[in-house]
Order: sequence, then C-alpha cells, then structure tokens
Amino acid sequence: MEEQIDLVGKAFIDHYYHLLDNDRPALSSLYRPSSMLTFEGQKILGVEDITAKLTSLPFDQCQHVISTIDSQPSTFAGGIVVFVSGSLQLPGEEHHLRFSQMFHLVPVLEGNFFVQNDMFLLNYG
Amino acid sequence: MDPDAVAKAFVDHYYSTFDANRAGLGNLYQEGSMLTFEGQKIQGSQSIVAKLTSLPFQQCKHNITTVDCQPSGAGGVLVFVSGTLQLAGEQHALKFSQMFHLMPTPQGSFYVLNDIFRLNYA
Repeated sequence: MEEQIDLVGKAFIDHYYHLLDNDRPALSSLYRPSSMLTFEGQKILGVEDITAKLTSLPFDQCQHVISTIDSQPSTFAGGIVVFVSGSLQLPGEEHHLRFSQMFHLVPVLEGNFFVQNDMFLLNYG
Repeated sequence: MDPDAVAKAFVDHYYSTFDANRAGLGNLYQEGSMLTFEGQKIQGSQSIVAKLTSLPFQQCKHNITTVDCQPSGAGGVLVFVSGTLQLAGEQHALKFSQMFHLMPTPQGSFYVLNDIFRLNYA
C-alpha cells in the first residue's frame, strides 16, 4: 500500500526521466532561477545553465531504467526529497552505467513541483 | 553558513560515530526525523537508533568516496554521499549511496531531518 508521498515521488520521477530520455529541452519547465544541479561534482546554478548542461550532454539518446525510488516529506513548505538509483543505457554502449540521483522538490501553486536541488552521480563498479 | 564546511564536518562526524559507536548517533536525529534504510521507513530518533544499532554486524568501516552538498533553501543543507562499507569478516566491501537533509538547531548545529540509505548492487 503506497503512501501519498511515494505516489507523488514516483509520478515526478516517471515524468522527469521521460523528458530526459525523450525531450531534454522540456526539462527547463522543472527548474527555476534558484535551482541547483551538481552533475558528477560540477555545480550549476539556475534553469538556463542547468538546461544548457543537460541538453549538451555528449549523447543524442539515452534510456534511464529506474531500480529504486525512495521519497520522504521535507517538513517545511511541503517539499519532498527523492532518492533514485538505476542504470543508464547509451546507444552503442555495450554496458549500462549505474547511477544515483537525489532531488529536492518544492511545490508550486498549480499543485506541481519544481526541482530546487538536483545531484547526480555515476556509480562506478 | 558555508554548506561545504557543514557537509564535510557532518559526514566526518556521522560516519566515525557510526563506525565506533552507533548508539551515539541518537543526538543527530529528532522526533520528526525520517530514515529510509534499503526501502524500510523509520521515523523518530528512538526508532532510528534502534534500527541502526540492531543492524546485523558488530563492526563496520565506511570509506567515503564522494560528498556533494547544496543549500536546501530554508537554512538546510542537502548532502549526497557515496562510498564503500567494509563489514568485519567480509571479503568484499559493499558500495552505498546515502542522502541527508540537515536542518539547523537553535543551538547552532544541525540535525538530520531526512536520511535515505541504499546499497549499490553491481
């Protein structure tokens, strides 16, 4: 029996990785000027620079396969922290890359969330 | 408040306490703290410490590979850790990832509001 927070976290994750795998420029709708991304240790601030980073990653296509999603409410202001692990398949690459990622989601008026904090790390074997 | 300094100090303290005396982790959590440990959800300092002290090994050693941190927007700090966990008697170290959401206390330190731990299987 899934709790509400798990349903919200899963819905966000499904949407996020769908955009990442199919329409990376559309990810800009999920970030704000205050958003922060740390991508493999590199720190990027604000929706424009974050979208530029994600759309300039050196591959045309990718497929994320999600293994685990853990969500918790973050008491103040209805925020949610989401912790994801999974694998990333790049076309032409024989082996999947494993990754972990965490999001801090903050609600907006329409009942959706934006990504205030985003940290991505490949998990080397 | 420098998030990098807070994160580094916290990570050093957390894992050295975990490896030396897990019961001592209690003062890092409060009533509203949440831990998700390999998918199992636990709430509140007492239950969290009970879970951590009942993990089925006497000794362990965490080796931290990466620490990333960001301010979370309400005086809080988010910390994202990866590393390995060596259990006494086990030949191979386990790989893990963990995230913490630290919130400031009135006394000027931080406590763990959110804690999520996952082993990284190959």
